[in-house]
Amino acid sequence: MGLVGNAVYYTFHPIQLRSIIQWKVWHNPPHERNATNDTETQKACFKFLDLTSRSFSAVIKELHPELLFPVCVFYLVLRGLDTIEDDTSIDLKTKEPLLRGFKDILEQDGWNFTGNRPEEKDRELLVQFQNVIAEFKNMKPAYQVIIKDITDKMGNGMADYCVKAATDDASVKTIEEYDLYCHYVAGLVGEGLTRLFVEADLANPALLKRPRLHKSMGLFLQKTNIIRDIREDFDDDRRFWPQEIWSKHVDKFEDLFKPENRDAALACNADMILNALEHVEDCLFYLAGLREQSVFNFCAIPQAMAIATLELCFRNYSIFERNIKITKGDACELMVQSTQNLQVLCQTFRKFSRQIHKKNTPKDPNFLKISIECGRIEKFIETIFPTQRAEDAQQRVKGELTVEQAKKREEDAENKADICFMMGLMGVIILFVAGSMMAVAWWFGARFDLAWQEITSGHFRPPPHVVEKASRVAAAAASASTAARDEL
Amino acid sequence: MDHKGVEEILSSKRILISGGTGFVGSATVRALAEKHPKCAITVIDRSPPRPRNALPGGIRCMQVDVTSAPEISKAFQTVKPNIVIHTAGIVPGLADRFGRRLEKKVWTINVVGTQNMLDAATENGAEAFIYTSSCCVVTDDMRSSYANIDERWPTSSNSLIYGESKVATAEALVLNASSEKMATCALRPSVLCGPGDYQLVPAIHACIAKYETPFVIGTGDNLWDVTHVSNVADSHVLAVENMVSCRTAAGEAFFIQNNEPITFRNFCLAIWAHFGHVPTFEIRIPEGLAYLAGWLCEMATWVTGGTTTLSRGSVRDACAVRYANGKKAKEILGYEARIGIEDAIRLSCEVSQDYELCPCAASGSGFMMSKKILVTYLEFQEYAHGIGVKLPAKG
Repeated sequence: MGLVGNAVYYTFHPIQLRSIIQWKVWHNPPHERNATNDTETQKACFKFLDLTSRSFSAVIKELHPELLFPVCVFYLVLRGLDTIEDDTSIDLKTKEPLLRGFKDILEQDGWNFTGNRPEEKDRELLVQFQNVIAEFKNMKPAYQVIIKDITDKMGNGMADYCVKAATDDASVKTIEEYDLYCHYVAGLVGEGLTRLFVEADLANPALLKRPRLHKSMGLFLQKTNIIRDIREDFDDDRRFWPQEIWSKHVDKFEDLFKPENRDAALACNADMILNALEHVEDCLFYLAGLREQSVFNFCAIPQAMAIATLELCFRNYSIFERNIKITKGDACELMVQSTQNLQVLCQTFRKFSRQIHKKNTPKDPNFLKISIECGRIEKFIETIFPTQRAEDAQQRVKGELTVEQAKKREEDAENKADICFMMGLMGVIILFVAGSMMAVAWWFGARFDLAWQEITSGHFRPPPHVVEKASRVAAAAASASTAARDEL
Repeated sequence: MDHKGVEEILSSKRILISGGTGFVGSATVRALAEKHPKCAITVIDRSPPRPRNALPGGIRCMQVDVTSAPEISKAFQTVKPNIVIHTAGIVPGLADRFGRRLEKKVWTINVVGTQNMLDAATENGAEAFIYTSSCCVVTDDMRSSYANIDERWPTSSNSLIYGESKVATAEALVLNASSEKMATCALRPSVLCGPGDYQLVPAIHACIAKYETPFVIGTGDNLWDVTHVSNVADSHVLAVENMVSCRTAAGEAFFIQNNEPITFRNFCLAIWAHFGHVPTFEIRIPEGLAYLAGWLCEMATWVTGGTTTLSRGSVRDACAVRYANGKKAKEILGYEARIGIEDAIRLSCEVSQDYELCPCAASGSGFMMSKKILVTYLEFQEYAHGIGVKLPAKG
C-alpha cells in the first residue's frame, strides 16, 4: 500500500490510526538502551537482530539490561540453527552433525559457516557468526550453560526431524507428534527464556517447577503460526496440521483447499483453534509469575498477538486462500494493552475469547467443546481477577454499604452541602443588592407607597397616557443628548 | 480412610432417602446401590416408583408424605436409618417460578417437610443427615450477578419463593442441626439436566415449535452452570462416605455442578442442534427492551389469567451470570463431575425423552409431559420425529 493508499485507508479507519499514534507517542520503554558504548561485536549482533526479526527486535531491545545480551544472543543462536535446518540445499551428511554439534560450535572462537545457498534469507548471520560467539563468551557462565543446553536439545530435535524427513515421511500424524514438534521449535525457547528470567531474578522461580506452563507459552505461539500459515506452508509443501485432526474432516489434506469442502475446512480450522486454545490458561498463569515490567512486555506482546490472530482466523475461510494478518492499528492497540499489567491483558484475552465464542456455530461438530473452552478461559480470568467479592455480596445482603459505596455516599453528601451553601450565599447577596438599590431609590424620592397602592388595586402597568408621556420625555431626552453631542 | 474401609462401614448401614422416586432421588439411589451394594436402602416418597425414574431392584419403597409428621415418624421407626438423605422437595415450574402463587405450597413441602425429617432423624438416632439444597439459595436473589461464586457468598432472604424456602431449610434448619451425634451437610446443585428431567430440556426444545430460537436476549455472553443428574448423585454418595468416615463436611454447604460453565445461549443452541435445528438468523434484543416486553406480557396475562413464557423474571434468568467454583466440594468431598457437559447434553436429549415418550405414546393422547410445554398432537409428533421416535397412529 502506497502513501495514497494508506491515507485513504486511515481516513476510513481513524481508530486504527489513533492506536498507532497512541503507541508511538505514549509508549515509554521500561529500559532505554544506550548504544553509544557498544563494542563492534555487540553492534553486529544488534544489526543481525534487526535483520532477522522485525517483531522481536523491538521488544528485545527494551529488555532489562541484565538480560538484553543473553536474550539477543540466544535468539541469534537459535536463528542460526534454524537457518541450517531450513536450507534444503545442504545434504543430510553435513547437516546432521552440524545440528547435533551446534552447542560445541558456540565455544569455537571465530567459527562461521558459508555453506548456505545464496537465496537463504539469513545466510549473512552464519557467515559472520563469530560475532555471536564472541558475545556468547562474554556472558555470565550461568547464562551460557542455559543457552548451551537448549541449543543442544533443539539441535538434536531438529536433526531427528531431518533424518525422519529423509528416510520416512515427516508429516505430522498424531496430536502428540504435533505437540512434540511444537515443543522442539518453540516450547524449548520458552524453557530457555524462563531459566534466563529466573537466573536473573526477574521471574518467580516456581515457574521452573511447572514446566507445563512455559511449554504452553511456546506451544500457543507456534500453533497460532501454524494455523495462520496453512496456505503458505501448503504451497511450500510443508504440512504441520496433524492428520489426527484433519482426517476427521477431510480424506486427503489437499481437500482442505478445495472450494467444495468449504464447510469441512472451516470445521477443521475450528478444531485446530480449539486445540490451541487449550494453552491459554497456562499462558496467563505463567505471565502472573513474571516480576519485571520489561520481561512481562516481552512475553505478553506475542501472546496478545496470538490470541488476536486466532480470533481473526477462527472460522475464517481466507486462511485457506492466502496469508492473513492482524492490521497494524490493531497490533498497536494490542501492544498498548499488553505492556501494562496482567489485568489489562486478561481483559484483552476475555474480549477475544468472547468474540471467538460469538463466531462459534452449532453447525460445527466441536460447537460445545469450543463453547466450554471459552467458558473455561473466562472462569479462569474471573478466578485471578474477580469482578465481585464475597464480602461485598455479604454486605449488600445485610443492607450495609461497601467501603467504596460508603465513601461515595459521603462524598455525595459533602457535594450537596457545598451546593446548598453556595446557593444560600447567592441568595443573601441578591437580597442585599436588591435591598440597597431600593434604599437608594427611596432616598432619591421613589414613592413605594404609591406603587404598592397601584399594585394592590390591580394595576400592574402604568395607564396608556402615562406611557405616552414617558416615551415623549424619553424622546426629548434623547434629542437633547444628540443636540448636546452635536454642540460638542 | 481408604475406599475399602468406607465400604465396610457402609455395608452395615441403613440409608433412608426421601423423594427417592424423583429426579435427583432416584439417581442417588442408583449411584448408591451401584457403589455400595451391601447397604440397605429405603426410599420414601409421596408417589410410587415412576417409569421415567428407574430404581434398581431390591429397594424398599414406602409411600410417605414428608409434610405429615406422623407418617414420617412411623416410617423412621420402621426403618431406623443410620443415614438420611433428604432430596424431597418441590421445584416450581417455569410459569410459577417468578410469582407468589405457589408460595404456601412450596414453603410447606420444602420447609415443614425438612423440619419433620430432621425431627424424626434426631429422635431415631440417625448419625448423618444429607440435604439436597440448591444453588438458588444464593442465586435466586435476582438483583445481582454471580460469577465464579463460592460458599462464602451469602444466602439471600430477598429472592424467589424457591430460593427463599430452600434458604430457610438448607441453611437455618439442616446446618444448624449439625451436632456431635448427627452430622449434617447441604449440597447445592445448579440447574440440572439428564434422564428424567421434565423441566429444562423440554422447555428449551419447545422454543423450536414456537419459532423463538432466533432471539437472543441480552449479550449472550452470560455463563451458567449446568449439572448432569448423575454427577449430583455422585456428590450425595461422596457426602455419605464423608459423613461415616472423617466427617469433614459436617455443618457445611457445597456448590455442586459440572464445573464447565457455558453460556445460556450456547446451551440452548446445542440442544436445538441435537434436534436438527439451527436458527438461520439471529435477532439480538437488548436486555432492557426484553425486560419491558416481559413486563407487558405479565400485564397481559394478569388480565387474561393465563401463563407466559416471557416475563421479567425469565428475562433476568436468561441474562444472568451464574456459575460457582467447585473448589470446596473438590477439596472436602473429593467431588468431580464424571459426566462432562457435552455428554450430559447429549444424554438429556436422547435418553430422557425415550422415557417420556413411552407411556404417552401408548395413551395416544396429545397431552404429555408437562401440559404447558407440548399442547397439540402435531407438536408432539414433530417432537417425536425430531428425536427419531415413531409414533402409533392417532386414535
